[in-house]
Amino acid sequence: MVTNRLADIFSLMEHYGRDDSPGLSLCRAAAEIMELDGASISLTSSDVEMTSLCAGESVAQSLCDLEITVNEGPAMDTIRMGVSVVEADLDSLRHRWPLYTPEALQLGARAVFSFPVRLGAIRFGALSLFRLSSGPLRANQASDGFLMASVVARSVLSMQAGASSDELLAEFHHGAQLDFRVHEAAGMLAVQGSMPVKDALVALRVHAFSTDTELSILAEHVVTRRIRLDPRGMEWVENPDGVA
Amino acid sequence: MARESLLIRTLVELADNLVDDYDVIDVLTVLSDRCVTTIDVDASGVLLASPGGELQFVASSSESTKVLELFQIQADEGPCVDCYRGGVAVVNQALSEDDGRWPRFSPRALAQGFQSVHSVPMRLRGRTIGAFNLFRTHRGILEAEDVAVAQGFADVATIAILQHQSSLNATTLNDQLNNALNSRIIIEQAKGMIRQAMNCDMDEAFGRLRTHARNHNDGLTEVATMVVDGRISPDALDVPKDPRSEG
Repeated sequence: MVTNRLADIFSLMEHYGRDDSPGLSLCRAAAEIMELDGASISLTSSDVEMTSLCAGESVAQSLCDLEITVNEGPAMDTIRMGVSVVEADLDSLRHRWPLYTPEALQLGARAVFSFPVRLGAIRFGALSLFRLSSGPLRANQASDGFLMASVVARSVLSMQAGASSDELLAEFHHGAQLDFRVHEAAGMLAVQGSMPVKDALVALRVHAFSTDTELSILAEHVVTRRIRLDPRGMEWVENPDGVA
Repeated sequence: MARESLLIRTLVELADNLVDDYDVIDVLTVLSDRCVTTIDVDASGVLLASPGGELQFVASSSESTKVLELFQIQADEGPCVDCYRGGVAVVNQALSEDDGRWPRFSPRALAQGFQSVHSVPMRLRGRTIGAFNLFRTHRGILEAEDVAVAQGFADVATIAILQHQSSLNATTLNDQLNNALNSRIIIEQAKGMIRQAMNCDMDEAFGRLRTHARNHNDGLTEVATMVVDGRISPDALDVPKDPRSEG
């Protein structure tokens, strides 16, 4: 089921997706849906290292670069602790990030927010946003932040699977995110193909896109052992047990 | 055992569980299990609303794929969706094949042997955060007293989610809901790995996670995370004495 709020996000992504890369359209959709001034997405390969994936505009990009340079800030805290960060008045709380805050204020940010981008045990990074004026988030803005972060997590996987913007949106419309079978299937494929669960989620998407199969249906076939990955994790074997 | 004794035993068990850094999925699973033994139902489970308003399954008295599927369908339709949207209990709904109300849910539930379904809301300060779902294999009315007990379980489940705090800092309601939903995804990822590595079914895979967590005094989510991260091999998990009774 696609709820109204998700539908709003998709139509914004579709709108921005006409001219921008998928990453950029995610950042622009995030800032617009949450009524904030800019957004960026940072990725982590481990709990400590962070890289910038993309930013919706130059201040968001500068804030993201700043965090990487001084090694502290909202995205870093989100990644380390796995919780959202809301710093509604940066000017009054200079001690939290002594190196980050003065520079962020210089760049014009007065409030910063960050949400964990993750899918089960897989930590991708953080979705960070800023506002040029101070002030807290309304309850619906905060829940939009979590929703947008879950859209980012799925998008990162689909982008890694080489999905086009259309395929990405089609997958969202089938709402496979919350389908327990997709995650069970990824766990099974990880063991079958000796790969991390994250790579298994990408492999599942690559095969779903290339065979034009819905992700949930492919996942069900994996769980019921109608299809599997070979031990090298390279090829798909249909009907491995030879059952009719 | 008399209902009063069962309820007291459940309360004591919860008081034991709701200490320091308890695992929210573990507590919700205990609640679902006890709900089945305390009132006359055959399966029960907890669904929580994601930030986008979709209902997602987080804990159940049964980890069988067939029961999980009935929770999964309720992302789209079913008693829980109606209960969540309306914020009021949906009880004593007899299922029929040609159901115009839940055309996908009802036939599947009947095929699994269930005859009636019930759902009570999980509410907090005017906001509905999810629903507690009960399934029965026989027809007949769930008495007002049973509904009250079910609502009590739903209220305790709500408290368990909201009181649950990470050891690092106190987090918001959204963080807590999101953590509970994400924990469930971690457990599913781990279950898939265990099923493949140990060639067992999904409820036995869950039983292994749960047994290992209990034996080592770790959280269910923590053990599942270690399996997915490769810090515990599936074959190093403790095996339940009777896989079914643990799952």
